[in-house]
Amino acid sequence: MPVIIIGVILLGSIILLDKFAFGEFGISQPIMVGTIFGAIFGDIQSGILVGAGLQLIFLGGLPIGRDIPPDGQAAGIIGCSSFFIMRTAYPLGQSLFLALFFALIASVCGGVLEIAARRLNDRLSSGYRKRVQRLALYHLSGLITAFGRGICIITPFVLIASLVPIPAQCPGINPSMFLIITTGIGLAHALYLFIKRSTILYMIIGGLCGLALLVL
Amino acid sequence: MRLGFARTVKLTLASFFIQTSWSFTSLQHLGFLFTLSSGVREKTQTKLLHKCKTIFNTHPYMVSYIIGAVLRAFDEGQSTPGRIDRFVSIAQASFATAGDLLFWQTIRPALFLGAVILGLKIGIMGPIAVLVVYNALHLFHRIRGFQEGYEKGDDIIYLLRTRRFTLVQRVFEFLGALFTGGLLTLLTLDFNALLVIPLCMLFIGLLLKRTASTIIIIIAIIATMIIVLV
Repeated sequence: MPVIIIGVILLGSIILLDKFAFGEFGISQPIMVGTIFGAIFGDIQSGILVGAGLQLIFLGGLPIGRDIPPDGQAAGIIGCSSFFIMRTAYPLGQSLFLALFFALIASVCGGVLEIAARRLNDRLSSGYRKRVQRLALYHLSGLITAFGRGICIITPFVLIASLVPIPAQCPGINPSMFLIITTGIGLAHALYLFIKRSTILYMIIGGLCGLALLVL
Repeated sequence: MRLGFARTVKLTLASFFIQTSWSFTSLQHLGFLFTLSSGVREKTQTKLLHKCKTIFNTHPYMVSYIIGAVLRAFDEGQSTPGRIDRFVSIAQASFATAGDLLFWQTIRPALFLGAVILGLKIGIMGPIAVLVVYNALHLFHRIRGFQEGYEKGDDIIYLLRTRRFTLVQRVFEFLGALFTGGLLTLLTLDFNALLVIPLCMLFIGLLLKRTASTIIIIIAIIATMIIVLV
């Protein structure tokens, strides 16, 4: 178990670098994280289910300008990893409910920690102004800040998920209910982002294609 | 004028770190200088670090267009600080708006909405296919951006009016609408549509009122608790 915990924390922190510190290749998006953790824990379908649900919740988190929205990427990593850790010892419903709960809380904490990390980066920036020739050192030190932020946000949730016993009275949700909640939020985001007078026809076509797929 | 292959590769790799030291006081300034300095000779680096003092912030995938144009100014020896600062301050705002609209508001949500539907319906190939398409799109902008920025110089701003930006945005808006329709029927009708509708209405109301995203998440937590307990 300790190896799994350390592995999950390190892997999660590395994936979280993709949020802004390195590349932004989309690997840290919840659906991708769900697939990755699903493959590692040997249950890709469940990983995709949890990742898809969390992706729908954070579909509209737009990091525009200086705005820092709740951290959907950290939520994806914590939700998916804690689901698989709890799933080994507890029923599916309770694991799913707590994974969703942890993910939502983590997204808010992640936003706060992101502000803290960027304040730390302010020190790197002022350090650079004093020693201009050390640009690469000061700039790339931001990787340490981002990795440290990942460790700080992921560790407590993973430790709670793996070490704290879940009481029997803890409520649970089945996968259908999980998808109902997340689809409700995701659909709201999608309608808000994409539906205008010019695109309504395409939504109807998409709906009809979906119906055809259901019938077939 | 063309940017060489080796220089493009160096710049592209350095641009992956553009936001590494993003801070509230200097935004992407260090990342901008780091990427820019990877594309100039060592002799020019010191000059560059002292000349570029403007605070920099733009969309991370669009930074290459600006850096390409600034590099050309340096190579042609027109690198007066005032001229570069003027160009950078106009270009960063224009490309930031274009990038936010194109990637954060359109391509990313549309593609990952597709990844959700495909992932739930066909499994692992769905997310993988979406990841490949997403990366192809942003890497295209990152790599071509350096080359075109270098070729066009200050005129690179006019590229924002071309079909590369306007047409692609429209295509992904339609794709997003198509996936929204698909989500509506494929996932909603699969489960309990009656519960999805009020939840969706509640969150649309919050989004239309421009409620802060943190408040939306807190309401999501409360809604989940109520649904589970009831």
